Order: sequence, then structure tokens, then C-alpha cells
Amino acid sequence: MIQIVRDWRTLALALVLPVVLLVLLSAGLSLRVDHLPIVVEDFSASPASQDFVDAFRASISLHVVPWPVDRRPEDALTSGAARAVLIIPEHFGRDIARGVETSVQLLVDASDANSARLTAGYAGQITRAYNRQRAPAVQRSALVQTAIRLWYNPGLSSKKFYGPGIFVLGLSMFPPLLAALAMARESEQKTILQIYVSSVSAHEFLLGKIAAFTAVALAECLVMLTVLFTYFGLRLAGDPTPFIVATILYAFCVASFGTMVGATIPSQVAAMQAVALGGFLLVFLLSGLIFPIENIPAGLRWISNFIWGRYYIEIVRDALLQGGGWPAVWLKVLIIGLIGAIFYGIAWRGMRRMQLEA
Amino acid sequence: MPRLASGRRLQALIAKEFSQIRRDRRLVISLILPPVLQLTLFGFALSATVSNLRLGVVDESRTPESRELVATLTESRSFRLGGSYATSTELGNAISQGTLDAGVVIPYRYARDLQRGRPTTVQFLLNAMNANTATIGQAYAEGVMQSYNSTLPRRQTDAGPDGNVAPGPSRQGQVRLVPAFLYNPGLVDSWFIATGVFGLLLILNSSLIASAAMVKEREAGTIEQLLMSPASTAEIIVAKITPLLVLLSLMMLLAIAVLKVVFRVPFHGSLPFVLSGGVLCILSGISLGTVIATLSKSAQQAQLTAFFINPPLSSLSGALNPIEAMPGWLQPLTALNPIHHFAVIVRDAMLKGSGVATLWPNFLALFAFTLVLGGLSIWRFRKQLS
Repeated sequence: MIQIVRDWRTLALALVLPVVLLVLLSAGLSLRVDHLPIVVEDFSASPASQDFVDAFRASISLHVVPWPVDRRPEDALTSGAARAVLIIPEHFGRDIARGVETSVQLLVDASDANSARLTAGYAGQITRAYNRQRAPAVQRSALVQTAIRLWYNPGLSSKKFYGPGIFVLGLSMFPPLLAALAMARESEQKTILQIYVSSVSAHEFLLGKIAAFTAVALAECLVMLTVLFTYFGLRLAGDPTPFIVATILYAFCVASFGTMVGATIPSQVAAMQAVALGGFLLVFLLSGLIFPIENIPAGLRWISNFIWGRYYIEIVRDALLQGGGWPAVWLKVLIIGLIGAIFYGIAWRGMRRMQLEA
Repeated sequence: MPRLASGRRLQALIAKEFSQIRRDRRLVISLILPPVLQLTLFGFALSATVSNLRLGVVDESRTPESRELVATLTESRSFRLGGSYATSTELGNAISQGTLDAGVVIPYRYARDLQRGRPTTVQFLLNAMNANTATIGQAYAEGVMQSYNSTLPRRQTDAGPDGNVAPGPSRQGQVRLVPAFLYNPGLVDSWFIATGVFGLLLILNSSLIASAAMVKEREAGTIEQLLMSPASTAEIIVAKITPLLVLLSLMMLLAIAVLKVVFRVPFHGSLPFVLSGGVLCILSGISLGTVIATLSKSAQQAQLTAFFINPPLSSLSGALNPIEAMPGWLQPLTALNPIHHFAVIVRDAMLKGSGVATLWPNFLALFAFTLVLGGLSIWRFRKQLS
């Protein structure tokens, strides 16, 4: 424990960097966009088309940007000035006046497929609202209306979704990194030999290490939770006990993971790379942090069942957003404990092997 | 003949660096493995596609009409039937436990209202935890409901004697929006992600490898020997950078091959343009790595420093997500990020076929980064040597 406190630089790494990461990554990962720039080419220039364009101007999800008439609308897309171009044909006003169905074209820059889907969705919503407004009263009354309720995150704030995920990412990365460095340092500097000749048993030594880094992880957790509750505006949604139990187990799990890596790989640089791979890449990619797990191709998806962060992310999201409580998460809590125990077992075997070699 | 001598000296130094790199197996592996592994992993795993949302149904109406509505909803690719529930409380529990993504509640009087031509309301519940999925899911639901609605009046007049509904033209004076998806008509997510990861890869790997190579000489203590040699610092630096640049450019070609073969990203623009952007990107990455290396005493410290620099660099680049999605105060910062400019160049040149005419500002920015970071690294290196 004293070893940790002395090294203030790594402690800052454990406590300050996660907060920075939390704020930056939550901004850098969010996919849901509004205020998408759109260019309107109105060839009809009739009162009806003006009306239609006004519907677009009034929306907050798209915003109409001016575009010189003498330049091709496609140039707005290639130069990145707009995400989409709405083209209203010349006969628009005439068709509307006659009561005939008319088409308008929306050219969407689909080089970013997700934003393209959002843009088309927003434009569709605006058009539907416009149509509903124009529809004759008789027909309007026959419609099946949809009342959509957005649960858990009614403001559709991306921050609330990514915040918990990055919280888990930070927790999966820094405590094991420090633990692995500390373990590898012991074997690099051969101070571990002193442990071997002392009367401290492998279990005692490992548990001491793990307890210290579990404490680091919990401290980091507290710091990040403060940020989640203030900057992200999250609240505990239900019964907090599963969250508390899972957090302690997860802190133990990541501390054991780091210790395991440090015990099996006796070089600091290599250990750091292993943790970066396990803690960052796997948890980042295969745990449903940004993109739903169902979207991962089946050939890779099974790996995510072994990723410890995945279960904890689900628990944290449940605790902070959904509030499902024990019935929703008990199995996941159990799995985290199990994976932690496996890491501990491997770390212990690694210790014994080193002990025999020394 | 001092010029000739210095030319040969430079040659010898470069040869030394090459053989040093060749012996470093880990360095060579880290040049080949990341482009292939990271590109494919990220490209395939990071997909924001919203499809097959699990839809739970509470059908209080239990009529042909309500079953028809459920069938319409679930036959689309957007939703699939996740189960039927007796009450909306059970449905709510299922959503909160995460077994469902969405739910629809069809009221008891649904069919009766429809037959009488009275407006009726169907409730849709969406788990909005993931704002992106929820927004797209919402648009899907509304779209499906609209097309369902447009089939309704006609069917009713066919089926029933009910005279309340006017059978006239059902889509009177309506506007139909026809979206055309340019540059990526199949809406392939991986084209966006893979090209972004390509930029991340170039900068992050260049800086990693450069800092490793620079720190190594220092850790081994052989940097003093280099200093004692008649070579000037400029020569030492050029000799250090040249082989890295060559190797990293090979890595870039490999990555482009992966983009082309694995992801089938179309290539509409000019290849030399993308390549020269890539070389600038690699140079600024190498310079960044050198600066990191001069700030640290050991490989371990260099790696720790990279932990402070890489996450902001990669997350504020717009490589994996649209810049518009970031909070307003962070957006201007992306202009200071080489990854951002390179990602724009790669995407626009490859997918849209843009050329110098539209991309010159990004190109200029990359060039400026290379100059500034390169100058900084040379200055730091000199200071360290003296």
C-alpha cells in the first residue's frame, strides 16, 4: 500500500486520467447527431413549397444552410458543407394545388451510414408531420396514431448512455494497468525474491496486492461516479445493492486481472501492452460499450461472452438507467465474481511458477 | 570531398537503423499485425446498424386487425417479434430486464375503433438508453405505421359495410419523400469506421513505433556513442526517420489493401492524393512519437505518456463518430487534430471522389502539423543531445 502512495504520478494516472477520459470519450463516441446541415433547392418557388421548406427550417434536428444557386447541389455534399440536399421539383406547387401526390428528392451523403440513416429519418418525420397537417379532416381521423414513449432516457441524451460505459472502460483499464506494472516491477527489480525468502505465503502476498489495487479501483470508482452524478446528471434508478456488490466484485476482478498479467509476464513494457489489449481493446470493442453486441458478426460475437467488462456495463446501465434490480442482473454479478476468481487462480499459479524458477 | 563523405555517412546511418529494426522482431510484428487486426476488428465490430429490434407485444384487442398490425410491424427488417405479454406491466418488466428493446401496446378497443372509423392510439415503448438506436428505431416505427395507415382506408371499404370512411383518393396532395443515398447506397457502416480507423492507425502506430525506437537508443545508452560520431544531429534524425517512414508507408499500403479487399471500400478519387496525405500523416505521427520519447526516460514512461495523449487524440478526431455529435465547445478542437484532417481526406477522396479543389484546406492543415510537430521534435531532440 505504501508503495502505491509514494508513486504519486501513477496515482494521478489512476484518479485524474479516468475523469478526463470520461468527459472526452463521452463526447467523442456519441453517434446521435442533430443540427445536421441541409441544403434546399427549391425549383418550384411557390407558396406551397415555401410552406414545406419552412417545416424543415423549423425543425431542430436539421438546419437549413444557404447554398449559392449557381453551384451544383452535389458540391455541397462533396465539400462537406451539408449532409443532405432537398430538391423540390418545379411541379411541386402545381401538384399540391391539384391535390395530386408529388415527390421530392432527398440526396443524402451516405459516406457515414449511421448519420445518413438519421438524416433520412428526420426528413421523413418532418414530411409526415407536414402531410398530417395538410390531410383532410376525415382522413386524419381514421389514422392509427402512434404514441411513442422513450423510456429511461427521454431526452435522448447520448451522454447518459456512454457515461456508464466509459466509467466501466476506465475501471477496466487503469487499476489493472497499475497492478500489472507493480507486479512486473517486483519481478524486474527482483524484490520479489525478498518475498519468496520471507515467511509470506503466495496467497498472502497476492491478496495483499489485490486488496491494495481493489482499493485503488474503488477510489477511482468514487471519483468517476461523482462526475457521472454531476456532469452527466445520472441518478441511481433503483435498488443500489446489486450495483454496490457488483462494483466491489468488479474492482476485485480487474485488480486480479492486472496482478495475473503482472505475475505471468515479468516485463513492465510487455505487461503494459497485454493490459492495454485486454483492458482496453477487448472491453472497448466487444462489450457493447458503443455499438450493440448484436451487430458484431457471429464469428466474433461469442468472444464477448468472456469479456468481464460486458457484464459490468450491463449492471451499471441497469443501476443508473433502467432500475431492473436483482432479478435482472443476479447472474451477471455471479459471472463477474467467477471471472475474478479465475484470474486469481491463474495469478496464483503464475506466482508459484516464478517461485520455483527463482 | 566533405559532401560525398556526409552522403555516405547518412547512408551508413540509415543502413544501421534498418538492420536495427530488422532485428527487433516485436517492431516488425507491430508493423504488420495492427493494420490487419485493428482494421478488421474495428471495422466489423463497430457497427451502428439498427435492425432486428426485439419487439414485445401486448395485444389487448386480440382481433384480426390487431394481429395484422403486429404482422406488419414484425415483417419489416427493423423489428422482430420478441414475445407476447398479457399486461403492459409484464412488458415493462421485460424491457427493464433487457430482454426486449421495444414494446407495442394495442388497446382493447383497437379493432372496434377502426371499424367505426374512429381515431385510435397505439402505444410504442422504446428503450432509449442508447439514444442513437432509439432515434433510428423511432423513425422506423413511424415509417412502418405510416405505410400501415395508408393501406387502411382502402381495405376497410373493401371489407366492411361501414360508410363512415370516405373512399376517395387516399393520398390527396401528399408529399412523398424519396431519399437517395449517395456515395454509399447500401448504407455500409464499415466504410465509415474502417476509413476512420485507418487514420487512427497511421498516427497512433507511427507515434508508438517512433517513440519506441527513439527511447531504445537512450535506454541502451548508445545515444552517447552516436553523439561522439562525426554525424550531425540533423543526420542522426534523418537517418532515424527515413527507415521508419519507409516501413510505415508499407504498412499504409497494407492497410489500403485491407480496406479494398476486406471491406470493399470503393476508390473514386486519386490514389497518389491519398498516399501523399498518408505520408504527411505518418510524418506527423513520427514527430509526435519523437516528442513523447524526448519527454520520457524509459520505454515504460513513454508508454504511460502515450496513455495521456492517445485517448483525447483519437476520441476528438471524428474518426469513429460524426463531429456534429460532440458538444459545441469541443468541436473546434478537432481542427487541431491531424487524424481528423486525414480521415476527411481519405473518406472524401475514396468515397466521394473529391480532389484537391475541395480538400486543400485539410491537406494544408496536415502539412502544417507535420512542420510544427517535426520542428518541435527536432528542437527537443537537439536540446536533449546537447
